[in-house]
Amino acid sequence: MRFAGVMLAVAAKDLRCELRGKELLPALTQFVVLSLVIAGFAFDLDASSGPRLSPGILWLVLVFAGLLAFGRTFAAERDVGSLEAMLLTPAGAPAIFAGKALGATVLLVACEAVLLPAMAVFLASPISPAVVATVLLATVGMAWLGCLFAALAAQTRARELLLPVLALPLWIPFVVVGSRAVQVAMSGGGFGAWAPAGQPYAVLLDFDILFLVVSSLAARFVLDD
Amino acid sequence: MAEVPPGPTDPEGAENRRLTALAGVAVAAMLVAGWAIFVYAPQDALQGPVQRIFYLHVASAVAAFGCFAVVLLGSLAFLWRGSLVGDRLGRAAAHVGLVFTTVTFLMGVVWAKPIWNWDPTRTWDARLTSTAALWVIYAGYLLVRRLAPPGRTAMRLAAVVGVIGFVDVPVVYFSVEWWRTLHPGPVLTAPGGPAMPAPMVVAYLVTQAAVGLLCGVLVAIHYRVQARRDAALARAVAAQLELASAPEGR
Repeated sequence: MRFAGVMLAVAAKDLRCELRGKELLPALTQFVVLSLVIAGFAFDLDASSGPRLSPGILWLVLVFAGLLAFGRTFAAERDVGSLEAMLLTPAGAPAIFAGKALGATVLLVACEAVLLPAMAVFLASPISPAVVATVLLATVGMAWLGCLFAALAAQTRARELLLPVLALPLWIPFVVVGSRAVQVAMSGGGFGAWAPAGQPYAVLLDFDILFLVVSSLAARFVLDD
Repeated sequence: MAEVPPGPTDPEGAENRRLTALAGVAVAAMLVAGWAIFVYAPQDALQGPVQRIFYLHVASAVAAFGCFAVVLLGSLAFLWRGSLVGDRLGRAAAHVGLVFTTVTFLMGVVWAKPIWNWDPTRTWDARLTSTAALWVIYAGYLLVRRLAPPGRTAMRLAAVVGVIGFVDVPVVYFSVEWWRTLHPGPVLTAPGGPAMPAPMVVAYLVTQAAVGLLCGVLVAIHYRVQARRDAALARAVAAQLELASAPEGR
């Protein structure tokens, strides 16, 4: 239970910082809305092509918003040297990492709370509970993996460059399964021959558990200087 | 650390000569493999001469996976025991593995052009995608080494990427397989024995042995380069420290 206590405390600290400083969330929401505006111009969307292309646009925006959000979580700590201070406490690196990842997950979910309604307004995307569930499930695993690489990249030169190179190839499983599930959910049909109903969620959950465990195990080596 | 004078008893020189001899054997083995591929193996009835790409394609894919398994083991050895040998082995194997992945990829593309009438804009094959991801992951592994502060930090961070990258590759593969795949299934390990005539299997095994040897020699050479570079760095640091701690320093 000590682990959970530390995790929640670190996540609460991050969210409190964000609420007081209001640095990341306003920038992220603007980024999300602007991406949709650019997608609207770039694809020349209308009432029929908007819903058709929106699964792809959703995942593109989500992936890049994630890179922005996760990159900041550890960069800010490195800038003021507060991560070292936290690691000096007896809390333990895996619990601190889990807290940071949880905080980043909540931030990205807040960003999705703007993204999905904005897509419904701008692109006339049919946002159903199935779409929301898919996006949330993918967010958890992507956040843990992304935070691990953000912590890793924060210790290098050119961290903004390294994070996408490391995180994007490892996010492929989430994007593949998630985008397919969103496509099916948005087209309103069942999964049909592709998969039995509910299976994509189970697969996403499996990926979440796998990467939660793997990145928590690896966190000790990444954070431990 | 005493300087060893060069001569017949010089261990460095003996090591160099041994590696040179091994490299010669590997080149000879590759020539034999070339003979097996182009002369010994029969022509494929359906695909024609293009099928001969298969031997080198599969052999280098196996060699690349072997290299990445070595990266995994080296990374684990470094994370668990702080083994410098494991780290150097990982460094060497990642470079060589990237080369063999590139060879596999290029051979596959050349084969796919006439056989599938391949058009990358229409075909998103599972193995192509996961191989591309594999390539980028291990390029990232080498990039981390370059961008991280040199020394233990770079080794530690790269080892984490080496382990997670290897875990992710099968996951990427199975997730992408949810899309339809065009890539041929296993030919050699097909149920009920290899689905090809015996001379083809022999040609493949000869090629695999030659490519495996070449791969091992390349890793050994690269390992040696890394070891000497580390030793040179350690000597330079030691000299600096000696200079700084001398009573009349500077």
